[in-house]
Amino acid sequence: MVRLDAAELSDRELNGRLKELAADGAEVTVVNPQARHNMAVGILDPFDLHIEGSVGYYSASLLDGPRVTIDGNAGWALGENLMSGSVKVAKDAGASVGASMRGGEVVVGGNAGARAGISMKGGTLVVGGDAGFLTGFMMQKGTIVVCGDVGDAVGDSMYEGVIYVGGRIGSLGNDAKTEEVPEEELIALWDALEQHGIDEKPHFTKVVSAKKLYHLDSLERLEMTAV
Amino acid sequence: MCGVSGIIYKNAGSDGPGPVGADLVKMLDSLAHRGRDSTGVTVVGEDTDEDLLVRVWTEHESEADTVLERAADAVRASGGVVRRRDRVGAFIRLAVDYDDDVAKLAQALLDTEGVDLHSIGRASEVVKDVGTASDVDGRHAVGQLRGTHGIGHVRMATESIVDINHAHPFWAYPFPDVTVVHNGQLTNYHSLKRAYEDRGHRFQTGNDSELIAVYLAEKLAEGATLERALHESLDDLDGTFTYLVSTRNGVGCAKDQWSAKPLVTMETDDVVAIASEETALRSVFSDEIDRIEPQQGEVMTWSV
Repeated sequence: MVRLDAAELSDRELNGRLKELAADGAEVTVVNPQARHNMAVGILDPFDLHIEGSVGYYSASLLDGPRVTIDGNAGWALGENLMSGSVKVAKDAGASVGASMRGGEVVVGGNAGARAGISMKGGTLVVGGDAGFLTGFMMQKGTIVVCGDVGDAVGDSMYEGVIYVGGRIGSLGNDAKTEEVPEEELIALWDALEQHGIDEKPHFTKVVSAKKLYHLDSLERLEMTAV
Repeated sequence: MCGVSGIIYKNAGSDGPGPVGADLVKMLDSLAHRGRDSTGVTVVGEDTDEDLLVRVWTEHESEADTVLERAADAVRASGGVVRRRDRVGAFIRLAVDYDDDVAKLAQALLDTEGVDLHSIGRASEVVKDVGTASDVDGRHAVGQLRGTHGIGHVRMATESIVDINHAHPFWAYPFPDVTVVHNGQLTNYHSLKRAYEDRGHRFQTGNDSELIAVYLAEKLAEGATLERALHESLDDLDGTFTYLVSTRNGVGCAKDQWSAKPLVTMETDDVVAIASEETALRSVFSDEIDRIEPQQGEVMTWSV
């Protein structure tokens, strides 16, 4: 295992070293992150990365493949534009966690700030605690699971995708509606949560698009081949 | 974009004042990427009885001695006694014995040629200048200021000019000890400002953050609690904002209904630290402490 001390490296040096190590498939631990921004960004090879402490804005973003664990908190836009792989933060994440992600998993052990999963285009975002205002704002695809409460305007202007809420819903956003979760879907969700170390079994409510604002009838090119 | 920070020593009454200036410099230095135009702090110290601390800046350093004399004359003409005078370059600090209406003194100073008034407080003073926190600490020894609590700001100017008067914190002329640091933009600034001016209020700058300070100070003077004043501001102020307010007795924060501007806090039994980003909190708390992120439309207050 390779151990990097973030205190001895600039942001650019740290990300450069991580890219090299990822290409070698190394297992890496970063110490002393001190909530700095842009840690572990733009890495396109799968590898295991553990960060001991808290990270700042846009950390673990623009990733395709890495499996990242962070044992502190994260700032705004953790895991932005994730393509594949996983990003797990043990404690809280700031606003816009999983923004524009297309694949993979982002897991927040604690609470998430405002705009969690904004403009998601795929993948799964799991929040063990509560999520803030405008959760799933304009999401286009993918799954958000919030075990606790969500703030106001959940699912505002969402196109597609699903938001599961285990606790209270502050209010529904424009064009969002709730649906019952069928039993087999609920059990599958609980099983999935257990794999992330979340043992709670909340009775989820499903938030989806009511599609009253919806004026798109064409599919993405990839989706056309699937139909 | 701007960076805000605050620090409160909750037990300063029994344990004595804490290194408020040094903490704020550390936090603001680690927020330097959020703004390098100017840096400022409010440090609230021990209660100075009826004495007032007056902070003045004058545009031309070469005339600073003359302006200091004029300011001292204005204090005397208002019935006050200047007990101590200090000057660092164009920055003047007066410690004054004065037991009359502070508004009368503030007006007399504001009418004095060459005087730009940065703060009047019974226990607090504003130190603000262009440059980073380290720059400002180097010039004004901010790191040596001790107290019970304080707030600070690094500025990336968006809504008004970059100069020393438009650096934060903004003092709520003429209400002693009320100052504000703000990250955001008020969109109903001009209409609110006109309404205050119609009632006779004198603004000292063209910066929207000054209006927040005046708004809160007026509410407090009318008898509102800090918490109530902060809650009411969420309805009365439009735009995107996260601001901190410092009073003689504590600190409060408010976050707009869009949750557009960041803020995180950490708290131990003795200390509360507040900042735009966790990286600033980490500069004063090396231990792993839980972080609280206020959400949209949320208000928090701490008292000493």
